[in-house]
Amino acid sequence: MSLRRQCYEWRNIVQNAGDTVFLNGYPINWVGSRPTAALRANQPVDIFVGGIGNNLDIPGQLKAYQYIVIDAVAVYPPTLHAQIYVNTTKYFQDPDGVPSRSGGISGFAVPFPNGTLYAPQGIGPLLPQDDLLNYDYQEGLKPPIIVAPGQNWGVEVTSSVAILASAGSGSVRDTEVQRCFVKYLLIDGSDSIVAKRLIESGWPLTVENIWKYKQDILKTHLYAGLAPLPEEVSSAKRKV
Amino acid sequence: MAIRKQLYTWELYGDGGDGTSLTHYPRGGESHSIFYGNFGLVQAGRQAGLVKENEFIVIEKLGCTPGISPEARVDGAGALTAWQPNMFVNIVIDTTNYYQDPQNVWASGVSGTASPYPKTTADMPYYDLWPPIYVLPHQTIDIRYTMFNDIFNSAGSGTYTTIPTDLLMAAVFVQYTLYDGTDALMARKLMQLGIPVTVGSVENYRRLLLEQKGLETDTFEHYLAAIQSEKKREEKQRKNQGLARHETYGSDD
Repeated sequence: MSLRRQCYEWRNIVQNAGDTVFLNGYPINWVGSRPTAALRANQPVDIFVGGIGNNLDIPGQLKAYQYIVIDAVAVYPPTLHAQIYVNTTKYFQDPDGVPSRSGGISGFAVPFPNGTLYAPQGIGPLLPQDDLLNYDYQEGLKPPIIVAPGQNWGVEVTSSVAILASAGSGSVRDTEVQRCFVKYLLIDGSDSIVAKRLIESGWPLTVENIWKYKQDILKTHLYAGLAPLPEEVSSAKRKV
Repeated sequence: MAIRKQLYTWELYGDGGDGTSLTHYPRGGESHSIFYGNFGLVQAGRQAGLVKENEFIVIEKLGCTPGISPEARVDGAGALTAWQPNMFVNIVIDTTNYYQDPQNVWASGVSGTASPYPKTTADMPYYDLWPPIYVLPHQTIDIRYTMFNDIFNSAGSGTYTTIPTDLLMAAVFVQYTLYDGTDALMARKLMQLGIPVTVGSVENYRRLLLEQKGLETDTFEHYLAAIQSEKKREEKQRKNQGLARHETYGSDD
């Protein structure tokens, strides 16, 4: 399985007090208990190792035989922004060249899920015709972000408004959960060598191009089997 | 019926009780199979999905019930009317998990929010299983779900008294193409040639074999012709679909 479409989803949901049962950083919730963590206004939080919500143990770093192609990122609510970083470079920047002061792309542009209810802070969900739709980034990030072996990568989320912690003990809704979703193509093993060659040749790193390159390799090998050996090889004296 | 578009759905309905049954509902944070797990509608024989030697499977779509919060909607009689399981689903081939997290450790998979089933205008899928997953003969396939909203603990909230037997609590959907018999052999050969296994490419390969009926197919000319024929078919298809780029029109024909 050398080409895999992966995804990672972050939420600001935290463990219940005293609860030790959770899997891959996702806590267990039940009716009357779905606590969420506070987010400070304009304070970036790393979704992998930021210490809030479900996290990883270590930052995202690619092994020597891995490439990833980050296709899409999405957030909710609209006041949340997502910024993708690779090593020390941030993807979204303001026209003056400084990394986006608002914190990247907002949930207005890339709502997660697509078609979710627009629920302004303190007002709650509006009517169904106010659903948020992803029209501007329907095909994700074009061109996508390529992360090479050995590079660190991650996503930071920034809320424009302060989000208070909640015990989630009352009537809870999905619209109260801050969340971020990132989708990427993981290329590992022998396919990462093909990816390297495609990048060196200036080709977009897509599934179709990787397949096509592998076909061409096979075709070249078939031709190679047909070709006669060079004169100096075929007439050379055996040395052993 | 050598090429069939298949689907398999797993569903968990209420038991008519209050939700405290540990034999009917899985606990939160536990991973279970949709083929042979202890909960919901699983196969009668409780077998994992072993691909037979004359079969080839291409998994194309995967989804599960969307929703995050354990939000209980209740009617006047105290019966639960809607439930969000907060679930994730993962594909396991032999001993390898398809989904892994950025630290290269196995993950719970894709959530119902990202890849919902059923799909609604209020939750359109962000996630598409592309490229598809090939499952080869003699490999075992399993699809495992994990719910993070606990039904047993929720029963203790006293918000509802009954979970009706017609209430769908959670569901998983998988769509795949099953190639069997001679089509499985052709699919295997196409995969070895690096050609994507699709219904179109397999049918094209079959046409090529029929054209060469009686001729030796175990030569490089045959495989070269197969690759070139597939390329031509793909170009024609892209032109018909209006997807071809100017390089396509500027090629041989």
